[in-house]
Amino acid sequence: MDELELLKKDWVKSDDKFERKSTAQLYPMLLKKSSSIVKTLFYISIAELVFWVAINTIPFLMSDAYRAKHEEMYTSNMFIILSLLSYAIILLFVYLLYRSHKSISVTDNAKKLMQNILKTRKIIKYYVLYNLVLASVSMILAFIYTSSHDPLLAEKIDHFTNKQYIAMIGMFMLVTIVFVAVIWLFYKLLYGILLRRLNRNYKELKKIEV
Amino acid sequence: MSKPLEQNFVELLEQHQNIVHKVCRLYTNNYDAHNDLFQEITIQLWKAFPKFRGDSKFSTWMYRVGLNTAITLYRKSKRTINTQQFDTVQFKISAEEYDSTEEDQLKLLYNAVHQLNDIEKALVFLYLEDKNYKEISETMGITEVNARVKMNRVKTKLRTILNP
Repeated sequence: MDELELLKKDWVKSDDKFERKSTAQLYPMLLKKSSSIVKTLFYISIAELVFWVAINTIPFLMSDAYRAKHEEMYTSNMFIILSLLSYAIILLFVYLLYRSHKSISVTDNAKKLMQNILKTRKIIKYYVLYNLVLASVSMILAFIYTSSHDPLLAEKIDHFTNKQYIAMIGMFMLVTIVFVAVIWLFYKLLYGILLRRLNRNYKELKKIEV
Repeated sequence: MSKPLEQNFVELLEQHQNIVHKVCRLYTNNYDAHNDLFQEITIQLWKAFPKFRGDSKFSTWMYRVGLNTAITLYRKSKRTINTQQFDTVQFKISAEEYDSTEEDQLKLLYNAVHQLNDIEKALVFLYLEDKNYKEISETMGITEVNARVKMNRVKTKLRTILNP
């Protein structure tokens, strides 16, 4: 006899073997909080948006010098356009995230549900990537700006030998790379753990279709 | 007057709760984890219930939500201490229906099913629930032909696990 047929025979009979829950036990279960990966992804995306917006705003609110520098920079049209563009990009990400979260439905078929969750994860990934690129570019620009505009630093750099100059650039690049790498690794790990099962199951489903 | 949504849902869930229990039985192996998954499936069903239009049977709709939660949405319970073995707690095996050879064989079979991966378990679950390949393919999002091919592979895999 086919193994599964034997199992099926028992499976059908197993209905009365479960500890049935009464309606009184079921009601409180509706009020409990979900711990699904979609909910976690949702919180991560909110945290992402807040984190990067905060990174860009806090120095502005905290430091007078930074604010003064900012105001000085705002006289340039180029800077205003760049700022508007960056806000537009944030709004675009908010919209994309909202849309993709809305598209996740537990009543879709298994494959579609997985694809929609992975799509949301991709949007968060692009948002992080965008911010990392932006942060690196800002760090480089700030470095160039400070080394030529800050009188104290500019004078020091003037006295640097070639070797010292290269060492300084090297150090700066290293710091930038480490900063980007640490954040990137953190995300890899975070999503790796969170979506390990989903990725494995999605691969398995894809394999069936090959 | 129509029943409030909540009451309607709980009554339907109470009636069809075995579907959820059966999903939990395949995807968990201890009492706490079983209840944890049961809880999560209940939440997902409840959240999706307002959109349930009744154009499919409630039970059919439950299969989809239950399996999707088990395969995709559920994050394993933090309480993984395996203090009680599942079969002795959640199942009340009575003395008169106990047949040692068949019981042993079934135990081996259930153990073998537990060694399958999540997707294979889902196929086995739908097969045990007597779903046809059309329904299996629609629930999983694969073609009917591929569902059939995979099912045969799962049967072979089970045989290999049982007779290494």
